[in-house]
Order: sequence, then structure tokens, then C-alpha cells
Amino acid sequence: MLNYIWLALILVGILTAIGWDLYDIKSDKYRNGAEIKSDVIYDNSNFLVEKNKRYNFSIKVSKSEFERIYGVKISKDLIQKATLIFIDNKSAYIEIYLDSTSPHIWFEQSRAQKVDGSTLQGKLYFQEAMGTFSDVKLVLNSVKFVKLNSVTNEGIVKYARIAVEISIGLIGIMSLWLGLMKIAESSGLIKIIAKSLKPITVKLFPDVPDDHPAIGAMVMNISANILGLANAATPLGLKAMEELNKLNKKLGTATDAMCTFLVINTSNVQLIPATVIAIRAASGSVNPTEILGPVIVATSVSTIIGIIAVKLLSKLKVFRKQLEGN
Amino acid sequence: MDSIINFIEILSVIAIPLLVIFIVTYGTIKKVKIYEVFVEGAKEGFNVGVRIIPYLVAMLVAIGIFRASGAMDILTIILSPLTNLIGMPAETLPMAIMRPLSGSGALGVMTEIIKTHGADSLIGRMVSVMMGSGETTFYVLAVYFGSVGITRTRHAVPAGIIADIAGILMSIWLVNLLFK
Repeated sequence: MLNYIWLALILVGILTAIGWDLYDIKSDKYRNGAEIKSDVIYDNSNFLVEKNKRYNFSIKVSKSEFERIYGVKISKDLIQKATLIFIDNKSAYIEIYLDSTSPHIWFEQSRAQKVDGSTLQGKLYFQEAMGTFSDVKLVLNSVKFVKLNSVTNEGIVKYARIAVEISIGLIGIMSLWLGLMKIAESSGLIKIIAKSLKPITVKLFPDVPDDHPAIGAMVMNISANILGLANAATPLGLKAMEELNKLNKKLGTATDAMCTFLVINTSNVQLIPATVIAIRAASGSVNPTEILGPVIVATSVSTIIGIIAVKLLSKLKVFRKQLEGN
Repeated sequence: MDSIINFIEILSVIAIPLLVIFIVTYGTIKKVKIYEVFVEGAKEGFNVGVRIIPYLVAMLVAIGIFRASGAMDILTIILSPLTNLIGMPAETLPMAIMRPLSGSGALGVMTEIIKTHGADSLIGRMVSVMMGSGETTFYVLAVYFGSVGITRTRHAVPAGIIADIAGILMSIWLVNLLFK
């Protein structure tokens, strides 16, 4: 099943990106090559034009001109910081620095031009040589295949890096908990923890001996999850997986106990969603914690349904066969 | 209610330091050579981290492609007639789709929706509950199974998705019931 979901994510993603881009080209969404009438704002206009020298200034595009070109509404005239380098007396390269007032479409164009998405590049054409800085023409570098570029840069390349960063970042905290768990194991603490919830764990994980270290690690993982201790929960969960794998007769295939444990983890048993409450409070909610009741009920129901589903599905022939055959 | 929240908040702050001191002290009482044993166990940490890499790359890149492509906008349009039937505002669909795929993505969706509709609107409350009650199913799947080299996931994926759907439906139903 994971194979199909994986394929679907990739296929749907790339095909949609191609579709969007073809549509954008057909509708000329980014107005490639359009001449945008704008004004240059410079505090000292009596300066000598030198080639290959950077000048800092601001560029102004009126609301009506922007709306005429792009066909999208903006709230007021655009004034953006920029630098320019003169090519000759009548034209210059321009780099516009985008900020919070910049229109959304410019950010998209910027991302398609460059990876970082903070500047927009193009050329400026002056009406007459030097001096007059009003009524200049701004032509942005043309962009094509915005979504495909974004899929490559922000999808593939960025996420491949993030995956490694997450994995490497886990090593420290993982080592810490594996070390502590080893102490807890040697001292017999894990067995005591495992036995404390015996009536429940026997029902949930019938294939795992009730004093097995896996049970102790799973109980600790679930407790950490309930308290929202993500830093401890993942290492403890991975420790539990390692112990469960010691009981696995067919390596590479998930056992019933692993599936049950995983579903308890993916259905979220956290009692207080601290991040959600913080965002609600920061967004001016009158009562940021009012969602707590529904959250606890919803998360409990999803965990119970998940456990029922995992128990029922494990009886299906398809999944039984995977465990037995070779 | 507030005192319960306070209690859990305090508990989650002191839990880890308390557990660390308890494990170490209990080990000493039971005559375990704690330092040596700790180091012995911690050695494995590096291998676990490295073992996860291929699984996480596979999963996150696929999710990254899906996120960057704008496929979600299209999926939202396609699915919106269905959501109206169950009292789910179409605006909350991106949240329902994103929640099991990407934690940061879902957080972004939630922040965006709360900014446009307000934290105390029906839609704002609904995404808050979805965010709070859901989990990044596919990330957990990749990390947990990856750490022990499981590629044949059997019924874990369908059961996980059923649990996710149950959580989302429950969030919608509860918010409609309590706040509408």
C-alpha cells in the first residue's frame, strides 16, 4: 500500500506541476517581456552615471499600472528597494528586493528566477539618456516553468536535505535515551514499568512476552507522547521498535505488534497541543484553550478506531500471508 | 479545567529531568555501573540516525514534490463537493490533506487559515482541533519502520489512515456540535 501512496504523491505532484506550467504559459500569467511603467526614486538625482557601479534606490510602480499589467488587484502603489547597474546611458540591470509589501505574484516570479526567492531581476529602460528618472520602463527577466522549478528546488532538493538534517539531528538525543534505557534495562527498571500496565499491554500486544523490554519502552514512549515530550518520545519509540524487531521472525516485514504500536503513535495521544494553543493565543483568540476538550475527545476516538482497525485488519488473509510466506 | 492544564504543563516540564535522575539513581542502587552501561547503550544512537536516512529521504522527497506542485489546490477543488455533505467547510480541506503528510506544512496551513478567518471563527477552531488531534502519520511511519529496516508495512498504513480519517471526522463533528 505504501508503494501506491508513494507513487501517487510523486506522480500527482509532477503531473500537476506540468499542468499548471502549461496553463501559465498559455495564459501568460507572469506577463513575460511586458514593459511596466515605473518611476525611479533617488534622493540625489545629480549623479554621474558610471558603468558597472551599483546604485541603491527605490522603484515605484503605481497601483493602476500594476493592475493593468497583471490583472490582479493590489491595495496601494508599490515602492520597493532596488539596486541598479548601468549597461549604458539608456538601460540598466535592476535587482528588486522583495519585502512584506511585495505582491504575491512577484514572489512566485522571484522563486522561479532564483532559488532564494528574495529578489527579482530585470532590466530598466530610460526614456532619454540619464537625468530623467520618471517614466522608465521595467522589464522583468522572463520566467517559465515556475511550478516545475519549485518542484525541483523546493520539493526534491530541499526535502532530500531536510531528511538528512532530521536524521542527523536525531543522533544526539537518540544516543542519550539509548544510554539511559540501557541503564534502566540493566537495573531491572524496564521490567517493572512493563509489568505495571500488564492488563492493557497483554491485550494490545499478545505476541510480546509481558516482561519484555519492548513493553517497557512502548509504555514509556506512549507516556512521553501523552505529555507531549517529542524529544523523548521518538527515541523511546525507536528503542521499542528495536526491541520488537528482536521478536521478528521475518526481518523487513512489520509484525502485528509493530503495526499496533505504530498506529498508536500515528494517531497522536498528546493531551495538550502546546503549539496550537500558542498560535491561537498569538492570533488574538479570546479563549485559546477552548479547543482542548474537542482535541482530547477527537484524538482519543482516532486512537481507539486505529487500534480496532489494526486488530481487525491483522486478521485479513492478505496481511497474514505476508507474515508467514517467504 | 485550568488546573488540569497547569498540572499537565508542570508535569511535562519536570518529567524528563525527573526521569533522568530516577533512572540513574535506581541504577546506582541496583549496583549497575551506570557510566559504562550508558556509553555502551548510547553507541547505537549513531547507527539508528544513519539507518533512518534512506527511508526519510524517500518519504520527504515525495511529500515535498506533492507540496511544491500546487496539487493541493486542485485536490481541494475536486473534493469540495464531498466535504459539504459532512458539514466540512472547503477551506479546512488543505489541513485534512496536509496533516498526515507534513507537520510544518500543516502548521503553515493552520496559521494561514487563522490569519484569514480568525482564531475564533468556526473554520479557525476546526483547523485548530484538526492540528491538535492529528499526527504526521507518514513521517512517523518512515522514521519508526526505517529505524529497523521495515519495508513491508502490512496493515500499518491502512489502519493509520483510518485513524487519521476518524480523527478528522470527529474534529469536524465536535466543532460543529459545540461552536456552531
